[in-house]
Amino acid sequence: MAQMSTVETSGGTRGSALPAWLKSGLLTIVAVLIVMGVWQVAAIAFDVPVWLVPKPSDFMARFVSDFPLLLHHAFETSKTLLMGFALGVLIAVPLAFAITSFGALERGLFPVIVFLNIMPKTVIGPILIVWFGIGPLVAVLIVFLMSFFPVLVDSMSGFRAVDPRLYYITRSMGASPAQTFFRIRLPASMDHIFAGMKIGVVKAVEGVIIAEFIASSAGLGYLIMRASGFMDMTLMFSGLIMAALVALVFNSGMSIAEVVLMPWSRRSQ
Amino acid sequence: MDPQKNQGTGASIVARDITKIYGTGPDAFHALGPIDLDIKPGEFVSLIGPSGCGKSTTMLLVSGLEPISQGHVEIDGKPLTKPISEIGIVFQDHLLLDFRTAIQNVMLQQEIRKLDKADMRSRADALFEQLDLVGAEDKYPWQLSGGMRQRVSIARALVHDPSMLIMDEPFGALDAISRTQIRHDLEMLWLAKRKTVLFITHSIEEAVGLSDRVLVMSKSPGRIVEEISIDLPRPRPAHLGEYPEFAVYAKKIYTIFEKLGVYNF
Repeated sequence: MAQMSTVETSGGTRGSALPAWLKSGLLTIVAVLIVMGVWQVAAIAFDVPVWLVPKPSDFMARFVSDFPLLLHHAFETSKTLLMGFALGVLIAVPLAFAITSFGALERGLFPVIVFLNIMPKTVIGPILIVWFGIGPLVAVLIVFLMSFFPVLVDSMSGFRAVDPRLYYITRSMGASPAQTFFRIRLPASMDHIFAGMKIGVVKAVEGVIIAEFIASSAGLGYLIMRASGFMDMTLMFSGLIMAALVALVFNSGMSIAEVVLMPWSRRSQ
Repeated sequence: MDPQKNQGTGASIVARDITKIYGTGPDAFHALGPIDLDIKPGEFVSLIGPSGCGKSTTMLLVSGLEPISQGHVEIDGKPLTKPISEIGIVFQDHLLLDFRTAIQNVMLQQEIRKLDKADMRSRADALFEQLDLVGAEDKYPWQLSGGMRQRVSIARALVHDPSMLIMDEPFGALDAISRTQIRHDLEMLWLAKRKTVLFITHSIEEAVGLSDRVLVMSKSPGRIVEEISIDLPRPRPAHLGEYPEFAVYAKKIYTIFEKLGVYNF
């Protein structure tokens, strides 16, 4: 995958003066502007009321005028997302290591986790509300539940990816278990762990808004839900845009972290 | 362990009646032995035999990496009780760490053994030169060819100056031309350092081309059926057929294989 995209990139650069990423970025912007333009013209032409479908000019103006409010809630959402996701990674990675190290855990605990994962996570929301009350904590826990599993599964395959014969070599070096873990197993699993984290972050972004719909007193999901109560369409649409921006920041943050933390990866070259 | 202790010499390996049985009860699998080994310091010995004859098991037993079911091993006259640390290991797969550059892979020995960094780095540089790896130091394994990866793997096995080197089909995954070159480079390294080498191979040409002695093994359970001393001048040429004796040695091994039913023509 990574290699293919590199080939495409260099192929694209050969033909024109613009670098491929800039070209595709500009194309995206042009496409968005066309969609918005058609939308704007259609809304005016058919005289669609703002409370039904707002025009781009309406919600973009609202996005600008209420930017501080949106930013505040975006910040709350990001905080929830980050906490839930971090909790997921911090529990999933060591647990994956434990499961792959002890056969009993793999046979006993893993099926239970798989079963729990099949359950729709948001359904647990009302139960969590009873336990912890309405607030960001419940949203954090739902984000945790959503991002935990992909990280766990990919980390497990990461910890299994090391050729066991390598341990003959490290044993001959007299490596301690800690040295073997931190110098070999963990870095060797990073590729897989990152793949899991990338899926996990997508799940987390998806989950955080839904979690805030049902169980929070702050954040973009809460803001959109409240705006819905007032039929405040322009605020809902600007909230939607802000949510997309938060998702974009987190997804690109993961890609940047991958390049920084794994300079050996082919993708980083 | 003092890496300097055995500078210039190899370890002796003596094994008596070593046996490996995997599992217990009716499911037990008698993989190897009993076999005896007497390997002199600095000797280059090959184990050759069909797949599943216990060549790799022999290697793991004499290095203490797998427990011995019966029998005992002495390295340099001392009974073997735990994995030997003065050893270098090379497998068929390079087993380099993807996240380390070539030189970092070699320097793993220094990091884990906590040896002097500058000293080890200069040893690593010297090995890179001898193994024709200059310029590959800062490349990641995926940026290297199969032959170069295996050369890095050999450098990793030698950088701490071990007294013995065990190699499990180290050239098995390489193309014929790389194999011949790396065979020569290994021979030159061995001639310079005279470490004890236990070399496992499926290739008669490699075994005869490199060894002082070839041990031919049969399978189920693995036993040593024949011992052939190879009396050819060193360094040996790329084309071993230059020596009429080569054909005689090769013929001897083929004949044993035919007798064992390894070949069925």
